[in-house]
Amino acid sequence: MMTSYRNYLSIMGLCLLAILSIKPALGAELPQNSECFESRDGMSQVNVHDTATGVVNVKCSPDTGGVLWWGDPFEGTIPMGDMEVEADYWHEEAVVKPREPQIDRNKMLTICGMACHNGVYVPIPYNKDPRPLKMHLDIIPDAMNLKHGKGSVWCLDCHHLVDRTKLIDNFGYSVSFNQPQKLCGKCHGQVYRSWRDGIHGKRIGMWDKGGKKRWWVCTECHNPHDVEQGDRNSGYAQLAPEPAPNLPKGMTNADHERMHHGPSKSESLH
Amino acid sequence: MPNQEKSKEKDSKLTTRRDFLRGAGNYTVASLSGAAMLLSNPKPAKANVTWAEHFQKNYRLMTEEEKQEAIERLETRYSEEYGQKVTVDGTPSIDGVLFGYALNIQKCIGCRRCVKACVAENNQSRGDEQQIEWIRVLRMEKGNFSAEDRDQHGYPESFGVQVGGNAYKPAGVVLEGQHYYEPDQVPEKDAFYFPMQCMQCEKPPCVKVCPVRTTYRDPDGIVVVDYNWCIGCRMCIGACPYWARRFNWGEPNLPKEELNPHTHYLGNRPRMKGVVEKCTYCVQRTRKGRWTACVEVCPVGARKFGNLLDPNSEIRKVLAKKKVFRLRADLNTYPKFFYFMD
Repeated sequence: MMTSYRNYLSIMGLCLLAILSIKPALGAELPQNSECFESRDGMSQVNVHDTATGVVNVKCSPDTGGVLWWGDPFEGTIPMGDMEVEADYWHEEAVVKPREPQIDRNKMLTICGMACHNGVYVPIPYNKDPRPLKMHLDIIPDAMNLKHGKGSVWCLDCHHLVDRTKLIDNFGYSVSFNQPQKLCGKCHGQVYRSWRDGIHGKRIGMWDKGGKKRWWVCTECHNPHDVEQGDRNSGYAQLAPEPAPNLPKGMTNADHERMHHGPSKSESLH
Repeated sequence: MPNQEKSKEKDSKLTTRRDFLRGAGNYTVASLSGAAMLLSNPKPAKANVTWAEHFQKNYRLMTEEEKQEAIERLETRYSEEYGQKVTVDGTPSIDGVLFGYALNIQKCIGCRRCVKACVAENNQSRGDEQQIEWIRVLRMEKGNFSAEDRDQHGYPESFGVQVGGNAYKPAGVVLEGQHYYEPDQVPEKDAFYFPMQCMQCEKPPCVKVCPVRTTYRDPDGIVVVDYNWCIGCRMCIGACPYWARRFNWGEPNLPKEELNPHTHYLGNRPRMKGVVEKCTYCVQRTRKGRWTACVEVCPVGARKFGNLLDPNSEIRKVLAKKKVFRLRADLNTYPKFFYFMD
């Protein structure tokens, strides 16, 4: 019942988007973004709508399309499930936003799981040497450009051999896409412990002891297929910044603060 | 009348002393007539409320009933002005809570989302005329020190020195760091970022200098301002070593549809012209258990917040396990805002 209603809404939303995109001439007066991203552009999208309490669930940045404000921090979340948490925080209500709907947005996961990778007819590669696989570029655009583990890790070290809607940990147990920390933590133990303590990663909701918290899981911020991000060698992809503050009145540019270390550049400024 | 004044300000070069006197005369007449109207006809709700607001006590010295009255007055006025139900909250600090903040400068990517989230949550003035942002993010260049450069050329020009600043031109930035950086993408490879906001000092210099004691530190560690009692002398701005306080030079510009109607008396209620404001750790949220707007919006999770008196809180874990420093600790302000690295 609910899902059909949501489908109806999303269809309406699509129509609206289509209508809006037909009129690019009105671009200057576009209304508030109807969709924005949380941490990973393209992989953590949220639709803006009113919540039951009368406030919007999120406010989007008009400049960068990122989430700027959370009206309802627990929207669309599910209980995190079993996880060892240090100290006496075990009784807290910890929730996560399931990753599967996000990954399955274009229904590829569903179709793949039913068609080829249904557990009966499965193309299992005999050669298990790490190598790029030239397939599924439609759902994983960076499949040929895997930047994780310096060439010693490949698809089937993380993805389930038979059940493609699941991940796999180093013991061969299947792990849900919703709980990637159970897989990532096997190698990145230090970060995992830090995340468990609430030091690494993001949480929103209530700060107080015993309060409900939404935890961000690994893949909500990091792209597991490209954790190097080129020569920046950082786990977080670049994004567009919000606009700079206004210059003080009477100041025409900010050249005064642009100083460069080393004389060659500073000379060119003056 | 205000329009006339504005246009006068704009072509101030042409203003003679006589013009000025005439303007001042107009102004006096206007204010006198306003006061007369208030005295003679106290019926309009807004005038009534403003009158009472002017003559209320310092918030700290009010009884509970007086606080409640003041809050109700404000709720009525704001709801009328902004055309929606605006709540003003007076929640006092919670026992056994001392708020602490930690920011991972290794993780910060300089995207400024915290800055804009803060503006959306805390009803700051926005727009070209008067823009107030409580958080500032500094871009710091990664130095490539070469002894040869220093020997041959000395230090780069304008290194850590105040730039500009005379009767005709505003002063530039005094410290190393860039406020107005605008790259296409952040983080840049050759830079790191350093956000600053109110440090909620344990010994706040701003509180020491306030001549009317309208700014004070609440038991949960938040330094707050009673805007109604503020006289706009800006002593606190001068005293703050962290550039945390902002002044409403003009009438704040807050569009009705952008108002956050959930406000706190000491926090994000709409301000007036001529008062000082600053970060309050989102007092309207945190005293009800919710994380601050900047913590929630940070896309990399660099911001951590919690109760310093709870040994199992994440802020205490940061202090126990990470490399932590406080900005300008030499000033003995004892900030409750910590920076840390992995």
